[in-house]
Amino acid sequence: MLKPVYLDHNSTTPLDADLKLQLMDWIESWGNPSSIHWAGRGPKALIRNARRNLAQMIGCEPLEIVFTSGGSEANNLAIKGLLPVHPRGERKRILISAVEHPSVFKTAHAMTARGYQVDLIPVNRDGRMDLERLDQLLSEKTALVSVMLANNETGHLFPVREIAKKAHEAGALVHCDAVQALGKIPVDVRELGVDAASFSGHKFYSLKGAGALYVRRGMNLESLIHGGGQERGRRAGTENTLSIAALGFMCARWEKVGLEADRLTRLRDEMESRILREIPDVTISGRDGNRLPNTSNMNISGVDGETLLMNLDVQGFAVSTGAACSSGNPEPSPVLLAMGFTRAEAQSSLRLSLGWGNTQEDIDRFVEALKNIVTRLRGFRSSESQVHYV
Amino acid sequence: MYSFGESKKGRVLVAMSGGVDSSVAAALLVEQGYDVIGATMQVWDYSNTSCDLSKGGRATIEGHGTCCSSTDVDDARAVADQLGIPFYVINCEAKFQAYVIDDFIGSYLEGRTPIPCSNCNTYLKFDHLLQKMRELECDYIATGHYARMERDGDRYKLISSADNIKDQTYFLFTLPQEILRHILFPVGHLTKSDVRALAESKGLPVARKKDSTGICFIGPGGYSSFIEQHVAKDLLKPGLLKLYPSGEVLGEHSGIHNFTYGQRKGIGVAAGRPLFVIKIDPATHEVWLGDEEHLFSKNLTVRRSNWLTPIREGEEYSVKIRFQHRGALARVKKIRGDEVDVEFLESQRAITPGQAAVFYSGRQLIGGGWIQ
Repeated sequence: MLKPVYLDHNSTTPLDADLKLQLMDWIESWGNPSSIHWAGRGPKALIRNARRNLAQMIGCEPLEIVFTSGGSEANNLAIKGLLPVHPRGERKRILISAVEHPSVFKTAHAMTARGYQVDLIPVNRDGRMDLERLDQLLSEKTALVSVMLANNETGHLFPVREIAKKAHEAGALVHCDAVQALGKIPVDVRELGVDAASFSGHKFYSLKGAGALYVRRGMNLESLIHGGGQERGRRAGTENTLSIAALGFMCARWEKVGLEADRLTRLRDEMESRILREIPDVTISGRDGNRLPNTSNMNISGVDGETLLMNLDVQGFAVSTGAACSSGNPEPSPVLLAMGFTRAEAQSSLRLSLGWGNTQEDIDRFVEALKNIVTRLRGFRSSESQVHYV
Repeated sequence: MYSFGESKKGRVLVAMSGGVDSSVAAALLVEQGYDVIGATMQVWDYSNTSCDLSKGGRATIEGHGTCCSSTDVDDARAVADQLGIPFYVINCEAKFQAYVIDDFIGSYLEGRTPIPCSNCNTYLKFDHLLQKMRELECDYIATGHYARMERDGDRYKLISSADNIKDQTYFLFTLPQEILRHILFPVGHLTKSDVRALAESKGLPVARKKDSTGICFIGPGGYSSFIEQHVAKDLLKPGLLKLYPSGEVLGEHSGIHNFTYGQRKGIGVAAGRPLFVIKIDPATHEVWLGDEEHLFSKNLTVRRSNWLTPIREGEEYSVKIRFQHRGALARVKKIRGDEVDVEFLESQRAITPGQAAVFYSGRQLIGGGWIQ
């Protein structure tokens, strides 16, 4: 029997071992953080500490943080919350990159029902964003620019600082989906110069159910969820104390983040070199550009990504593909299509996202398994006619 | 720790529909010690047919969820989770459309009455899924069919199910020997009530799920409304209803897809005596009606036949001409390649083009072909 190997950390992460030990203590803080009596004090302190830790990690003030249920809610809150109370309300254009997460992409497009228009900033196959096009699209009509810091599927990093500068010069607000960046690379919202940024706990070895939106002091924000006065009226509802505390705990571990970033970069780069050396007809997207330390997106020519995923899964390797969908609908990833990959390329793509628990041995075993499976599957393609395919 | 892939018995890909038969099949294979992988074929988007459109049940606006989609995939996944086996959904929509739906519609437009289940077996389960079986390094493919497999030297025999009512060998006549050797029918030796009892005793979540009846993609509106929804209007031509054999015009109809051989109800003609569909002519769009006696005939020809055991001219077999038919003795008259002429010893009612004639020797399936 072998240890299963998890290489899908951009999807979610396992709980940090130290965090796990803390959780049992925190479970005792069951009180309502808004209560004035003794039961409320413990949980209130947990949330206060978490807010402080996250603020320190991303370089902002604690009161600039709004805790949410996760990254998707934070992205929704940014777009739906900033636009209706925009200081230049006559502006009706939203500018997003062509490779945003659905929680930005679809939320922006949902605003078209309220009179907004969405324009996309193109991104090429190597993950380079077309800043010239951005310049052309930016105008006195642009209300909001939303660009992610790191892409979830390819790991490509985008020049958010430069984009924010241009956007501000045009008088637009700037939001950044930093969900995939937190815990993988340093994130400093002041340095990025954005007005709002989204974060998530479960991509950072923490519990599901907590995320956050950074909103620059002085910004107006309309709440999505109305009710009690939690989060200074910007997000009603009794707080998810445990998940928020867990996120805060991880934010105190910035040293580990730095060490792991170096280690994972080496591990990932060696893995890619070996794959390129040992498996023919593999291309890696944006290898020479800026990427997250842990992510690798490759195209394995002639191999169906879903079949590859199943084969890896039954051998204990968890990966993801450019056409993943639990419902069985193998629609190729819109992100890869937007980057100019063909349907066939998107359907034979593989996303590997490494994490803190991965060892050299994991990677060696994985590359060996991948090599064997790809060789075998390619053998089918050439020896057996796929005649019945329509 | 990860222990999948260590079984000495081999690895099986089991086709799980979310129904009780394939769920019990998967459970039995796990019990027998195979490494089992579950798979559901996503063959058709049922969201159009599974709920009442007039009540606005189907969501078409992005971001607005829908209440009505099939729960079969969820059921299959729940069973797989309970059994602790890997489970995948395999998309076959394009292939299902091409080989099952298009053929189904085409048959009705040409005056035949098709059997979509046979095509689904031939082109989806035992072709597309068989390819997945190979790609996933499985030794076998298993389904919840009521049919039994027996090995006879290096050949395999298909034997009808222990459950005479549920027996599904009729739909399996197209399988060649090289595929049969890879097939397992774990519930073939059981009756439906055995299978239900096993599902209950194993606590499977689908133990009390209603049996699916009829054709899986046909909604409550019936097959003719399905065809009307999926075919361009100009292909559905009206035609005359004529009396057989005199040719007297009895009325008009809105399209030959509304008729099948032997049909009596819903013809739309009041003649003072029961009239039956005797013949459908796709060239002239005429539907001939007549007395029941004209429905009986002794001869049929099959094409695109497949034989698990070779047949010879002059031999007699029990031949089933539709799924519900009990089988009747018939003699092989002439074999021309994969085309075979057959003569029944006694006249049979409504021998219908598009259906299969499936040959048995006792309980053993010999083969069959498509009635012309």
